[in-house]
Amino acid sequence: MTSDSLSPAQAPHAPTIKQIAWTRFRTWVFEVPALQVLVVLVLAGWLVATMPAMANPRSITSILVITSLLALAAMGQTLVVILGGLDLAAPGYILFGAFMAANVAGKLAVPAVVALLITALVCGGIGAVIGWVCHRFAVQPLVVTLGAGAAITGGTLFLADGDYSSAPPNGLRSLASLRAATFGLPFPPIILIVLLCGVGMWIFLNRTTAGRRFRATGINFRAARFTRIRTSTVWTVVFAASGALAGIAGVFIASFGSGWSQTIGEPYLFSGLAAVLVGGTIFGSIRGSYTRTLLGALILTLLSTIIVSNGLTEAQSRIVFGVIILAVVSLYGRERHVRDRF
Amino acid sequence: MNRVLTLFQRWPFAFALLLALVLLVLNLIVSPSFLSPARLPGTLATLAPFVLVGFASTPSILAGGIDISVGPLATFINCLFVAILIPAGLGDWHLAAPIILAVAAGAGAVNGILVAVVRLHPVVATTGMLFLLVGLSLSIAQNPVAAPDNWTEVFAGGVGIVPGALLTVGVAGLIWFALRRTAFVSNLLATGDSDVSAYGSGVNIKSIRILAYTLGGLFAGIAGIALTALVQSSQSSLASTYALLGLAAAVLGGTSLAGGRGGLLGALFGAVAIYLLQQLLTASGVAPSLIQFAYGAVLVTGVVLGATLLAPRMKRNPS
Repeated sequence: MTSDSLSPAQAPHAPTIKQIAWTRFRTWVFEVPALQVLVVLVLAGWLVATMPAMANPRSITSILVITSLLALAAMGQTLVVILGGLDLAAPGYILFGAFMAANVAGKLAVPAVVALLITALVCGGIGAVIGWVCHRFAVQPLVVTLGAGAAITGGTLFLADGDYSSAPPNGLRSLASLRAATFGLPFPPIILIVLLCGVGMWIFLNRTTAGRRFRATGINFRAARFTRIRTSTVWTVVFAASGALAGIAGVFIASFGSGWSQTIGEPYLFSGLAAVLVGGTIFGSIRGSYTRTLLGALILTLLSTIIVSNGLTEAQSRIVFGVIILAVVSLYGRERHVRDRF
Repeated sequence: MNRVLTLFQRWPFAFALLLALVLLVLNLIVSPSFLSPARLPGTLATLAPFVLVGFASTPSILAGGIDISVGPLATFINCLFVAILIPAGLGDWHLAAPIILAVAAGAGAVNGILVAVVRLHPVVATTGMLFLLVGLSLSIAQNPVAAPDNWTEVFAGGVGIVPGALLTVGVAGLIWFALRRTAFVSNLLATGDSDVSAYGSGVNIKSIRILAYTLGGLFAGIAGIALTALVQSSQSSLASTYALLGLAAAVLGGTSLAGGRGGLLGALFGAVAIYLLQQLLTASGVAPSLIQFAYGAVLVTGVVLGATLLAPRMKRNPS
């Protein structure tokens, strides 16, 4: 040890109260989606200030319904992203769900509940196979889901046999259409369903053992295996859930639009991913949650409403989406430097 | 049998090559005139943008990342050339080609900086770029704009007896061939295999990554030219199709998404295999929906096979 006699006596470098407060504040900002809430408030304020006509129940309901559909479509993606993967099969699942809603429940008059169950089983089953294969053979889910998505899309279009004119039955449409009511209240049930999903997902992720195991697998796959978590089961179940949820989202999306087309799922792939990322869930991150995705979906919907109502086009809203994703993620989604990973 | 397996494991693209050869023979059986000199330039011109987007996806994957914005970049270049450069009087090849390639390489470089310097996850960075590029293409040319006569037509037809598509693919191939003579490619593969080890050995992984994405952007620019040659109009709607096809071609060609293994030859054979599969099914009168199904099935099978039976050193998951 070198002598301290030459240097003036060093005061122990105690952090000041200010520094402690700042550190705590920073941790808090990263822990809870405070930034996202702030952005939502600013955007909502801006929308109401510039377009006072938007502040009526009808417009608010329509924004919330679009948000709910996006959030529902992004639910499975959120789980897969927390696990550190990416599910590119979502458009396929959504297309299959829309097909079940329009052609099977609508045209063939199969009860809506049965159609929903079939959708969940088929999409969930395919997802389970994908998850198991990816885990068993250590394949990147990116390509497997890409291929599976193409196969599901192709298979669904073959089953549909060129019939895109059917519409979902009234029972399903009353769940998502703007004029519908929930228990007498003037908003469609889809908003309530998504909110309940959000609560359920929060409980699952934060208050259950399964949620803990799932997060552990996402953060460090090998460490999770050493703590005797059955990562194979986790992967299978998560990809199955992603498939089933995207399929169900497809049913609702078709019910909202009162019909479907070959490309109904396409916009939801990258917009869903955008909602997840803007919410602040990053691949294999500890902070990922579905609450964040809900906020992300709300931000994106508000943004595109503002952009479109200011006379700009859909194309320009894509540009803004791109910038927003990059900005949000570079704020707190940065990875560690290589020198820190030795 | 073991010797065959070793061969496959030694050459990552061998599986795609075999698949392409089998599909070529099947194509020749279904339509014997498939390789006739009259049809060849057209066939190659349809194939070229596809192969080039596959090329464009490869360097970033080799570097251990991924670039899902190369397809939209190619369609953006297509829109930029047809809807802005030609009307502005910059349509001559000696003006347009440098601008196009500079813009494309610049977009790639931005991706590279976002990944290497800002340290965003590659999927996130390139998704943001994808949104930007799709938005820009749509605002330049929402609806297809027909292109007047221009120099790109050469690449869809032929120069003398040489099919024009060979030129675009050939230029990209030559660039890669030249780079293989330098330390860049070996450093690229080292970075992709393990960035920590490469960093420890003194590789400047930051600039290697940026260069990899820039190279991908450059190839995407060439792909945009080949695409313009083929469609002779601005097609902003093709963005999402090409976004994922290039990735599929690269991966089917044996390029490992974990990085560090593969090359352009794989992307070439992968793209050819997917193209021949589509041709074969179209020629035998199969419904388009089933063609998509078959494409998906081949992709999944190819990737799983590549990761298990054909992987080197049998890096299988023991669990």
